[in-house]
Amino acid sequence: MRRGYDVFMAVLFAATVALMPVALYLIFVNAPEEKVMGAVQKIFYFHVPIAAVTFLSVFVLLAGATGYLWTRRAGWDHLSIASAEVGLVFCTLVLITGPIWAKPAWGVWWTWEAKLTTTLILWLLLAGILLSRAYASAPEQGARVAAVLGVVAALDVPIVYKAVDWWRGNHPIVFGAGKTNPLAPGMLSALLVSMLVFVLLYALLLAARMRLAALEDRLAALEDAAWRSQS
Amino acid sequence: MNDLHARPPGFFSAALIVARKDLRIEGRTKETLSATVLFALVELVVFGFAFDLDTIRRMGPGKVVPGLLWMTLAFSAIVGFTRSFRLERSREALIAVALAPIDRGAVYVGKWIANFALLLMLEAVLLPLTALFFDVNIVDVALPLALVVLLHTVGLAALGTLFAAVVSRLGRGEALLATLLLPAATPLFLSAVHCTASVLEATPLSADRKWLLLALGLDVLYVLVAILIFDAILEE
Repeated sequence: MRRGYDVFMAVLFAATVALMPVALYLIFVNAPEEKVMGAVQKIFYFHVPIAAVTFLSVFVLLAGATGYLWTRRAGWDHLSIASAEVGLVFCTLVLITGPIWAKPAWGVWWTWEAKLTTTLILWLLLAGILLSRAYASAPEQGARVAAVLGVVAALDVPIVYKAVDWWRGNHPIVFGAGKTNPLAPGMLSALLVSMLVFVLLYALLLAARMRLAALEDRLAALEDAAWRSQS
Repeated sequence: MNDLHARPPGFFSAALIVARKDLRIEGRTKETLSATVLFALVELVVFGFAFDLDTIRRMGPGKVVPGLLWMTLAFSAIVGFTRSFRLERSREALIAVALAPIDRGAVYVGKWIANFALLLMLEAVLLPLTALFFDVNIVDVALPLALVVLLHTVGLAALGTLFAAVVSRLGRGEALLATLLLPAATPLFLSAVHCTASVLEATPLSADRKWLLLALGLDVLYVLVAILIFDAILEE
């Protein structure tokens, strides 16, 4: 089990590290510079994959949380912890990279558009889950509370998106422009490789965090046993 | 409730027993209602200073007042929800509730019904006061307004009760409940404010069919999910 994990992590790590420079080359050297926005547009190759991974982590969170509520197996809870924490990190990056691009492109740092608002609400939901877990008096209680909040949060996110979309009316969709004039070939390959790198990085961080959670559990059990044998 | 049951009550009668118990305690102490109604009144006064009445009049009843009404209701409701599990927290009464030979989902449903009833009473005071303070006519639109408020109160009580149980389990209060509930209830509040605005502007409700369906869907979703997962919160 542990050997298999080590091999898996080594392969994942090697693939991520090897592909990162390739993605950077494709983004900064190979892909043509966008005519209107210039160099600013390069952040697109980071922002879009990070956002995709953030919303992928919502599905992973739903799986971990429902799996734990269903089976009460610690492994599902480790998945739930890892997806909430790593998801929060990626969500934070989305909220940082977005405005950096929005300011030169739209002229404002922030607008209350559906994608932005949903990301911000997701950030709050994930932070709330981590906060609640930290408040728990016992790890099992934290696991149950986080699973309950995780299920509600994950089910909520698509509804939040739809509701904010309706609320704002048919806002001119900035990214919709990409549909009519597709990306130049060099841009598309850069985006796809960058997407792959971020998915690999996400998987790597997720697996490492799950392993850490399992070790924390084991340490707690050992401490408990040691305390029992002394008294 | 007076006679000894030979066998445990079914799901709905158990839920009604829990709801009746909570409402009876509230009927005798009136603690939650007095706290939420007074807090709502204070909020309205604060909003009265924050938003100039002339500006509100000029913009029309659909612009500021619906948001203000639901904000007041949300904050007061949070105070009420937090109290709904406070009784059970003292002297470990929640363990006794958890040990009762009834479905734990029924405990949730009972609490939800009680919270829903308390919210309706709060709204019965809050709506006329808002209309009075901000010069909005609600008499002519009383029926559609009541429908909109009722529909969204169901969902608000459902999600609020579930999260209040979580917060109570963690030994925390209103601050954590607000942090968890307000973002999670975003779609419900958007729908509530939108529908209230159209009602106050005398738009027929049929124009908001998609919002009303969304609210109805959220009501059902929150209640069903909560019944399914409430067990995990009561567990020791």
